[in-house]
Amino acid sequence: MTDTSSNAELAIDARELRKEFRSVVAVNDVSLQIAKGEVFGLVGPDGAGKSTLIRMLATTLAPTSGDAYVFGKSVISDPHDVKPRIGYMSQQFSLYGDLTVAENLRFFAELRGVPRAEMAQRSARLLEFAGLTEFSKRQAQYLSGGMKQKLALAATLISEPDLLFLDEPTTGVDPVSRREFWRIISDLHRQGITVFVATPYMDEADRCNEIAFMTQGQIILRDTPTGMKRRVPGRIIEIAIPDYRAAMPVVRSLPFVKSVEVSGEMLRVLVTSDTECEDAEKCLADELVKAGFTVDHMRLAPTDLEMAFATLIPDADELLKRDEDAVAVAE
Amino acid sequence: MNRILAIARKEFIHIRRDPRLLGMILLMPIFQLFLYSYALSFDIKHLPTAVMDFDHTTMSRQYVNALEQSNYFTVNKSLTTYSEVDKTFESNSDRVVVVIAAGFGDELSAGRQGNVQVLVDGSDANSAALGQAYAGALSRIFGSKVAIAQLQAKGFNTSGAAGLSSNTRTWYNPEGRSASYFVPGLIVVLVTMVTVMQTSITLVREKETGTYEQLVVSPMRRIELMVGKIAPWSLIGAAQIVLISVIGIVAFGIPFRGSPMLLALASLLYVICTLGLGLIVSAVSETIDTATQFAALISFLPTFMLSGYIFPISSMPWLLQAISYLYPARYFIDITRMIFLKGSGFDVMWPDMVALGAFAVIIVSLAASLYRERA
Repeated sequence: MTDTSSNAELAIDARELRKEFRSVVAVNDVSLQIAKGEVFGLVGPDGAGKSTLIRMLATTLAPTSGDAYVFGKSVISDPHDVKPRIGYMSQQFSLYGDLTVAENLRFFAELRGVPRAEMAQRSARLLEFAGLTEFSKRQAQYLSGGMKQKLALAATLISEPDLLFLDEPTTGVDPVSRREFWRIISDLHRQGITVFVATPYMDEADRCNEIAFMTQGQIILRDTPTGMKRRVPGRIIEIAIPDYRAAMPVVRSLPFVKSVEVSGEMLRVLVTSDTECEDAEKCLADELVKAGFTVDHMRLAPTDLEMAFATLIPDADELLKRDEDAVAVAE
Repeated sequence: MNRILAIARKEFIHIRRDPRLLGMILLMPIFQLFLYSYALSFDIKHLPTAVMDFDHTTMSRQYVNALEQSNYFTVNKSLTTYSEVDKTFESNSDRVVVVIAAGFGDELSAGRQGNVQVLVDGSDANSAALGQAYAGALSRIFGSKVAIAQLQAKGFNTSGAAGLSSNTRTWYNPEGRSASYFVPGLIVVLVTMVTVMQTSITLVREKETGTYEQLVVSPMRRIELMVGKIAPWSLIGAAQIVLISVIGIVAFGIPFRGSPMLLALASLLYVICTLGLGLIVSAVSETIDTATQFAALISFLPTFMLSGYIFPISSMPWLLQAISYLYPARYFIDITRMIFLKGSGFDVMWPDMVALGAFAVIIVSLAASLYRERA
């Protein structure tokens, strides 16, 4: 007997969800529990399987094996109980270009069975919310990228779903629109809506309550943004140095330096708390002066997610390999 | 029900916003109607004809005269040798050469059979067949006239003579006008093209633009999607049938002898078949290109070639005849011709109607099961 009951407090409960396309394993037995009311971010490189995972959870793609429960209902056996409670915004713009903003909203409202009495009020509010009121008579294909995304979000929200799946919602959208888009998502979060968002942007991932890192069809890390950053072994020092290109190999060769990357005109250096060197900042400066460089200025910088993943993922790759070894041994 | 209406309304907006599509739906029937009725006329009159008279008697001249007066032949020139026949056909100046053998007049006067040879240019099969038939008929009539004249000359009273005369009359389409024959068929061809093609494209386009996923993620049943998608096209199909019928009747004088209700019923059954075919194409195709080609393969070609629209089914090889039974257009063309030209009732047409109904059921169930599986 398999356990088919699911905790009703969970918005999503995926169990060994797997999708194969011919011989390619896009999603490799992913198990994932997400509590209600979270803003959950899924990050990972292209081809990691993020969209495939979302599509299975959103009932638009049948899993090869495993199952997922959305608010306690199986996406395989009860998709019709799942669909009314979710909204899904795909990566590709998925509204009708030849329909106007208002017509698109009306269509999706009718499709999702929004009561006629509430339709006008809801679409007025959403248009206001998305800043599209004055464009309501414009055909969707003539909107800018940012407006299209906001319209798509509005169309997804018209049925007031409890769980929102967003697949790279701000790809190709200007920074201002991205900020507005996230302001809307924060509002939704405050209203208690659960949001599951796949994003390639670290600043967006930073806005989530929890992040999972996905690669090669598996989720290999899951933590809060702060937790992710805390995992970084060491501190980040930013060095402003005129000849940063020449300084880079020197810095990298130092034993207590874990990684170096260029950020603007500065070097961002990850240093470990090495025993030989109590004050890494001082050691770094000494070494650079010894090598004949002039250091303009130096400061301790907060760890960001980008740095976190850059340092954590090689470890994670090893983790993954160890898992495979374990499987090989088990066989 | 609300969802069906929502989808249907959306489809109408798509159509309204696409001027090319709208033009195709409204103008194509009219254009084709004129094309088939005028340009592609299969009525043969005034066939360009040459005469080679080796006889040079009063009788032979009377025969040539009869040819000219029949309206079916226009005698352009006289030839003297067979080598000229080739040249005439090659230059396409004449399609028929009538050769009157030497001794034609003598033989006839003597009460024996006179010989007339009809050479036709087979490269235009249609004119050839008709030219042959006309000339043959003319010769028989001419021959019997001569015979009667001779008998009378010999003092026989022919009025009481029992004789066999073959008297061919074409019923339902007495003038043999091709418009009368083609317009009812054209209805079938056009409705097939528009309905199969458009329903094939309509869902595939949503797959290509990604909107299909939004439909799938909404709490909507497949059947609602199917009905919502095909409802607008069945209305358009019905409008086309009415449009072509009215133009055919008013502008081309096509008779309409049967019951409009029966035509409506048959049209309904047929349109269900074609829309179902369109949905099947849509379900199995991933891109608009594949869908278009697949639709052409299962709709245009059989409707043109295998339905009896242009080529009579009875003169096809048995294999093609057998295949034609598998395609609903065949039955609907039968029905439209019977209703327009013969005024037949349900008592005669029921086998065709039953066949259409059976196809409708089979095709729609197939489409429905494909949708459950694939989407």
